[in-house]
Formats: sequence, structure tokens, C-alpha cells
Amino acid sequence: MSKKAKDEILDKLKAAPQTDVPPRPTVPPLNELAWNREERIEKLAENLTLLGCAVHRARDAEETVNKMTEIARAEGLTKIIASEDDVVATLNLAEWGKSNNIEVFTPRDGHDREAFKRIVFEEVQAGVTGVDFAVAESGTLCLIHDERQPRLVSLAPIRHIAIVPVERIHPIYESVTDTLFENREKAPSHITFISGPSMTADIQGSLFKGMHGPKTVTVILVEQTAT
Amino acid sequence: MKVKSEQFREVAIEELKTRHTRSHLDVIGLFISEMRRASMGTFPDPSAALELGRAIRAESIERLPELLEEFERNATANGAVVHWARDADEANALILRIAQERNVRLVTKGKSMVTEETGLNDVLIENGLEVFETDLGEFIIQLLGRPPFHIQGPALNIPVQEICDLFMEKGIMNEPTLDPVELGHAARVFLRNKFHHVDMAITGVNFAVAQTGTIINVENEGNIRLTKSSPRTQVSVMTLEKVVPTMQDAMHMLRLLCRNCTGQKIASYVSMDSGPNKGREVDGPRELFIVILDNGRSSFYRDPEVREILRCIRCGVCMLECPVYGKIGGYPYGWAYSGPMGQVLNPLMLGLERTQDLYRACTFCGGCKTACPAGIDHPQKFLYYRAKDVEGDPRYKGKRRPWTESSFMGIFTWVTKRRWRWNLGIKAARPFLNRHVEQGFIRGMKGPVEGWFKSRDFPAMAEKTFHDRMQERGSRESGEPSRS
Repeated sequence: MSKKAKDEILDKLKAAPQTDVPPRPTVPPLNELAWNREERIEKLAENLTLLGCAVHRARDAEETVNKMTEIARAEGLTKIIASEDDVVATLNLAEWGKSNNIEVFTPRDGHDREAFKRIVFEEVQAGVTGVDFAVAESGTLCLIHDERQPRLVSLAPIRHIAIVPVERIHPIYESVTDTLFENREKAPSHITFISGPSMTADIQGSLFKGMHGPKTVTVILVEQTAT
Repeated sequence: MKVKSEQFREVAIEELKTRHTRSHLDVIGLFISEMRRASMGTFPDPSAALELGRAIRAESIERLPELLEEFERNATANGAVVHWARDADEANALILRIAQERNVRLVTKGKSMVTEETGLNDVLIENGLEVFETDLGEFIIQLLGRPPFHIQGPALNIPVQEICDLFMEKGIMNEPTLDPVELGHAARVFLRNKFHHVDMAITGVNFAVAQTGTIINVENEGNIRLTKSSPRTQVSVMTLEKVVPTMQDAMHMLRLLCRNCTGQKIASYVSMDSGPNKGREVDGPRELFIVILDNGRSSFYRDPEVREILRCIRCGVCMLECPVYGKIGGYPYGWAYSGPMGQVLNPLMLGLERTQDLYRACTFCGGCKTACPAGIDHPQKFLYYRAKDVEGDPRYKGKRRPWTESSFMGIFTWVTKRRWRWNLGIKAARPFLNRHVEQGFIRGMKGPVEGWFKSRDFPAMAEKTFHDRMQERGSRESGEPSRS
């Protein structure tokens, strides 16, 4: 059925009279491309704040973990899940959890999809992830999803805490997608752009946060990450 | 979804009386327009950015067959399974089969206008599946059984009291509340359980990137991400015009879509699927099906005059700009698509005969066309449809005018083709028209022109025409008979 439908549809489209493809106008390069490193960091922080994210700065891994302790105390966190991406891996959160009395789950604790989903949907109060890129133009965090970075860690818990190494901040989306899709065969199967908390204005136009995803997004910008 | 476009006039009259419809339309329009202006201002040259968007969409549609083949090739290479469907029934049957083969019981949906178009929910529910719309607005109108009020805010106009009663009745919450945040929270808790246990995801598609075989979804609530992340099977339905040539094009269109839709620089979540997960992940779909739906579009693609309406990216800016939509809201349009974008699309999908009022409910202010980031000339389409309808063009199911009107127009044309006939006609018509004069104005007439006078009047005809008077004056001043 499908094969025939395809041929029929494409044949009809191809039989239609051809018209010229209109030329593309030249547009000036986006202003964001002129931003230097410091401006990119400032603009990212500014845009994140406008979106309603809490933004913290840290010099290194140690300060990052200290910030996490402050956040966990302020929010009363006792159970969290952390991705195993390359940014989070530098923080040794298992150790941090032990000394702060916080249970830190990893995606591996969910042996299968069902066990994992039970943790992210029912157990934890926050999900901690690194980011693969951040985009200054709109305060966007970019996550590449794979076995170390499951999709639901940054989505199902009511709080998302994102660790952003400043050297991963890019000016515009294309600086990220041009790299990721340079070779289609190596492109990631799933990419997410996260810009602020989940929200809606569907009832009477009243804006509220935490519709289905996180209600709060806390971002820690890290100057130096351990290598 | 039942099509009710024939009732445009009746529903519009009712909606004009509804205070809730009016107040929300007034406020939302102003608010988003301001946000839109600010966000478009981040482009170094906003009008050039708009022009680029229009060129990208024009190219996408002119190169449609080639781009669809490229998209299918790359999506398949990424591991997705691409199906094609000629019409709504074929698409619905296909999706039902995918669900039944996998013993799916619970389906969650991301908001998609295309499945509103095909009436997919009804088919799945009739066959014993549990289907939940998960966008808050769609969730509410699914429970109410109403069409969307607006393509982005389907339930914007529903009063909180009604939502409260609805949620109590359907067991979504136990304690009544009129706080929109509490109502939203009740929906979150209810749907969270569905996201946890869902067997199959159904979503729409905002952009399909030919170059990379990627589908892109744009949203604010997180319901599409949850829908796509939790179950093993994902079905994403796209109409064939969703394709864009390259990822760079998609990023530019993304900027324009968000700015024109809600005035945001970007929506909270943009998620991009290039195939299913790789098999080692603990979440995300193990299998990804992409359904490419035609549903009549390839037929009107033949006509270069109307092809451009396929450029639409569903941002909804035309509705915000439309003075008619701004007063009557989305219900009178009677289908999934409302406002100017619905007025250009619905007549082609449903036929000109059933949609008479849609292409006539226009002031020709051109607001939609001026704002459209996809480069659609809506008013010009309305004129085209009117002409096709008058001619009774069978391709578009035109109604053709009654013989009385066409013979009147025939005589009128004949009269206007010669000056002497026109002048004679004018002379004959004047006393006839002036019979209806009251206090210097013609306020109404019986017969076929009765409707015209409903909201208008006409000054009485002067005894002599301007030309007559000029002639008389000319002959008086020069003492010579003037040339006529």
C-alpha cells in the first residue's frame, strides 16, 4: 500500500508545471556572530535570566559542587538523578551525595526502561545534566542524547540543574548544528534545545511554569572543567 | 473532526456576543504583537530576515518532490521507517495497524494540527485504544469535544469555571479551584501518569529537514518531549509540505516561527529526531515511524496559482493580524484551521461550495500577507477562489452563481461596453433608484440587492450626472455646443 501511495503522490507532484525557484536574498550576518568570548558568556547569562532560570557562576569543579550543595540545601533535595555525561563525570557526585546525605541515582540504576522511568517520574526531586553546547543568542542549552545522557533526566523531574562549561558557549544555533550535522551518518539520533522551564499559557492566557517538564532550571556556568 | 464550515455566519454571530471570546482576543493580540516586535528586532535587518524565510519556503515548495525523496532517503538511512498516505483514512488505518501490531493500549499525543485534520483520535478510540492529548489546551478541548479556538491556544477562550467543572466531572481533580495554575497542575498530575505508562507516541512535525532526514518539534510545555521519550514506539505524522532543504534553513525558520507565533526568541523545547535511538539508551523510541500525508495537497499543487499556500509554517501570525478573526475567534471557521491560513487552506481541502463564507469574510486589509513569514498572499487567493466559485470550476468544487445573477451580469457587461448604452442605462436607472429615497438617502430596497443595504446606505441620485452638468456649463460659458 505504502509503496503505491508514494509513487502516486510523487508522480502527481512531478507532473505539476514547474516554476522557477526564487533567488534567496542576501541577509546581513547575525549580530551575535560578532560577540567575543566574554560577551557570549554575559549574553547567555542574561538570556537565561530573562527566561526565568537561576544562573550561578563557578570557577572550577570544586566550586560547582559547592554551589550544588547550596542549591540542594535551599531546595531541601534528598534524592536526585545525574546523567553520566562528560561534564557531570568530572564532579564525582556519588561522593558528594554521600557526604551531603543525598541519594544520587544514575541512569544505570534503572536496569531497564521501566525501572529507570520509575526513578525519574516517581523518586527524584531533580535531574542534573551537563550540556554539550549552549547558545548565547537565546539562552539555549543543547543536549545530545545517548546512553550517558538519557532524555528524561532533564525533563521528568520538577527541577533541572544544568552544568555549562563556558568554553561550550556558542553564539548562534548554526554554530552548533553545522558541526553536528556536518556528516549525516555521524549525527546524533536525538538533540534537544532547552530554553528555560516548561511553561504554558493555555488557560486564559495565564502564564505558569512547570506544565509537564521542570518548573525550575538552574544553570551553573563553570569557568574551568577538570580534564 | 466534524467539519462545520457551512455554519460560519451563524457561529460568528453567536461568538460576537460571547464576552469571553472578545476579551481574550483583544488582550492576547496586543501582548503578542509587542513581544513579536521586540523579538524580530534581534535580526540586524528584520525585513531581510522575513524575506529570507519567504524564499526558503518558496524554494521548499517549488522543489517539493525532489526534497521529499531526499528526506525519505536520509530518514530511512537514519533508521526511521517512512510511510506515505494518500488521504486521512489511509493514514489513520496505517497508524492503527502499527498500534495493534504492538498491542498498544495507551497512546499520548503531542499537539498536531494534521491529526486534527484526519480525525485520528476518533479512529483509535473506536478501536479500543486510550488516547490522550497532552498539550494543556488540546487536553481541555479533547475533554470538551470542541474544535480548536486558535492553532496555538486551542482552549484560550474557555472560562476557568467551565474548566473547573470539566475537571471535576472527568475526575481529573477532587477539589474545585478557579486558579489557572492549580488547574494546570491538576492536568500535570493526571497526564504525568499517562506519560509514565504510555505505549506509543503520536506527534506532528514542525520541520522535516531533507538534507539530514531529521524531524523537528517545537513546544513550550514539554509534553511532546515526554511523549517521544517514554515509549518504545514513536509515530510522527507530517503533511508533505513540512520539508525544508537544509538544517541551516530549518534554524532560520525556527527563529521566524517562534517570534511570529508567541513572540519568543525560541520556544522552551526544540527536539530533533534523526532516526530512533541507537539501542543502548534507556529511553527514547526503539522504532520511529514517519507518516507523510497528502490528503488532497498534491492535487492543488498542480495549480501554480494556489501552490504557495503550502508554504505555511503554522505560526498563526495571520490570525493575530486579522481584524475578522480578532472579533469572531476560531470557532466559525468550523475546522482544525482557522483565521486567514484556514481561509486559504480549507476551501481547497473541503471544496469551494462548502466554504462560501470563508473566502468572503475578508476586509482586504492585507495584514496577514504583510506579516506572513512564509510569503503567502492570502487576499489574492480569496479573489481567485471567488472567481473559481463564480465560474463553477469543477476542480475546486465551485458552486457557480444562480442563472439570474449570471444573466444580470451578462446584461450589465453588455451595457457597459458601449458609451451610449451606459449613458442610456444611467438615465433609466436614476428615477428607478430614487423611488426608494427617504430623507436624501436610499436605505433599503427589496429584491436581490436587499442584503447590500443591511449595513450600508446610499445617497440619493442627483437629477443630473456630473457629465451632464459640465456639458451644460461648457455650452453656457462658450456659447457653443460642447463635444460629447
